[in-house]
Amino acid sequence: MTALFNLPLDILVLFTVLTPFVGWLALRLKRKSLIGLFAAVGLFASGVALYGMYAGVSSGSPVLSAPPSLFSSFFRVDMLSFIMAAVFIGMGLAATVYSVGYMEKDTGLPLYYTLLLAMITGLVGVAFAGDLFTLYVFWELMSVSSYVLVAFRKETWEPIEAGFKYMIMSAAASATLLLGLALLYGLTGTLSFEALASNPPTANAWLFITSILILVGFGVKAAIVPLHTWLPDAHSAAPTPISALLSGIVIETGVYALLRTYFTAFLAIQTQWFGILAVLSILTMTVGNLMALLQTDVKRLLAYSSIAQVGYMLVGFAVGTQAGLSVGLPALPAGVETALTGTILHIINHSLMKGAAFMCAGAIILRLETRDLKDMAGVARKMPVTATLFAVSLFALVGMPPLNGFISELTLFTSTVQAGVGWLGVAIILNSILSAGYYLRVLGTMIRPSMSEAVSKAKEAPAVMLIPIGIMVALIILFGVYPEPVMKLAQQAAQELLRVGGS
Amino acid sequence: MIDLSYYLGFIFSLYAIGLYCLATKRNMIRLILGLEILINAANLTFITFSAYAFPGYVDRLAHSIVIVSIGLGGSVGAVALTMIVYAYKYYGTLDITELKRLKG
Repeated sequence: MTALFNLPLDILVLFTVLTPFVGWLALRLKRKSLIGLFAAVGLFASGVALYGMYAGVSSGSPVLSAPPSLFSSFFRVDMLSFIMAAVFIGMGLAATVYSVGYMEKDTGLPLYYTLLLAMITGLVGVAFAGDLFTLYVFWELMSVSSYVLVAFRKETWEPIEAGFKYMIMSAAASATLLLGLALLYGLTGTLSFEALASNPPTANAWLFITSILILVGFGVKAAIVPLHTWLPDAHSAAPTPISALLSGIVIETGVYALLRTYFTAFLAIQTQWFGILAVLSILTMTVGNLMALLQTDVKRLLAYSSIAQVGYMLVGFAVGTQAGLSVGLPALPAGVETALTGTILHIINHSLMKGAAFMCAGAIILRLETRDLKDMAGVARKMPVTATLFAVSLFALVGMPPLNGFISELTLFTSTVQAGVGWLGVAIILNSILSAGYYLRVLGTMIRPSMSEAVSKAKEAPAVMLIPIGIMVALIILFGVYPEPVMKLAQQAAQELLRVGGS
Repeated sequence: MIDLSYYLGFIFSLYAIGLYCLATKRNMIRLILGLEILINAANLTFITFSAYAFPGYVDRLAHSIVIVSIGLGGSVGAVALTMIVYAYKYYGTLDITELKRLKG
């Protein structure tokens, strides 16, 4: 049997297409939770199929798609793609299970789960893509389904306004990206990562224009600071499971796509980008943290903190661009591999931390029916489990030692010192301290002795929502206490990223 | 054959028109048209380069990209128009500057 794409992606596509029918049947049988269950089964099966690819990927050589598949799209799965896909499917599974509790009272659930699966399919496709054309097609699948998901609760004005803003900015960015890809195609005649990496275009003015267009194109999704204005609106207006996915994995996809393009097509001009990326990273984290300090809406606060976290990832990316110095030399400059390891590690960790934090906030919002931080005073007494899980994920976001956020921030800091740009590392530390200000404010509000009126009527969130959060928090602690296995995988991914197509 | 620079000049002016439209227009429908102009500028670039890559032939890769991209542009337009319908319902206007209730 010829596969459509490759197995994990095929399963996702199949379940995406079948969900509306199952949803229709489930509504007929008056069993709403069946739809969510079906979507969760699809994601789980895809995860199992992905695990089946591990043996091939971990051997060090990328798994290529069989050429005579139906659409002859080109896939190339290396360790980095594998890690990204695992994060996407895992987070998707958690959000789907969580949605069964959170979206209980909503209508249009078959549409919701179909779009959610379509978004995960797009994300996994972006991670697996072996050329920029395939990447672009899946990128658009992910984007278009996320526009609709942000505006899913169309009964009020807020999601519509946020969704429209998001859509205009993101679609303009996609068009810019396409123009960048077209210019790259004009310069090289190919869009395949391996061909671009083994024969990188020489530095000239056109290549700079191309790299700027592609940075803008991916940068809007990654919420790099002058392009971030859509994020706080969209992430706070979307249904909470979608906020968790947008903050946890969609913005990281922007960082992933930037890493892929800059370490293949733009090797020749990479070093010139170091200064710009360093400034952008400092700007991104500072603006994100300062704006988060001012928020009273808990989801908006978490959304701004996502911008700050993207800043940390960009630090690793900026230091990593020093790899361009060593084209043709046997050894890499100091710190490059550590920096990329740190970025990849932070992508994994941030998706866990921010996903858990958003889901806990969502559980509280579901019970209190308000997003205002003031009304959450004393919620820890009524919802102790949720509040404890929330506290752990917030401590991880600050970078508290035995948790995973600390490990990745430490790795990023080490790399800046190794590369001789310690001032970037100092920026990370200063921003972590700054961020503690608002995370601790949330914690302080939750454990305040006086209870607000909304809180006094609240009760603990349902188990179907607490179980996915609990698993994520367990992983946060596990990756913090025992980081070696993840670290090793991230390191292998970084090494493979640095030699796509080479040797 | 016509020199490539004419095509590139045309493409970048189209792109500039699209951006200008997005930056200055207040009507939501016009914003969508601006988006479509941007996408068309990118599509045209692919077509131009595919014709110039091997004189006398066209590259299949670029053509498949353009066809897929036209389809994607259509779906973005459809989603956008749907959102405009809802926005009109809540705000009673197509003026984008009225959509500013979200702040901070």
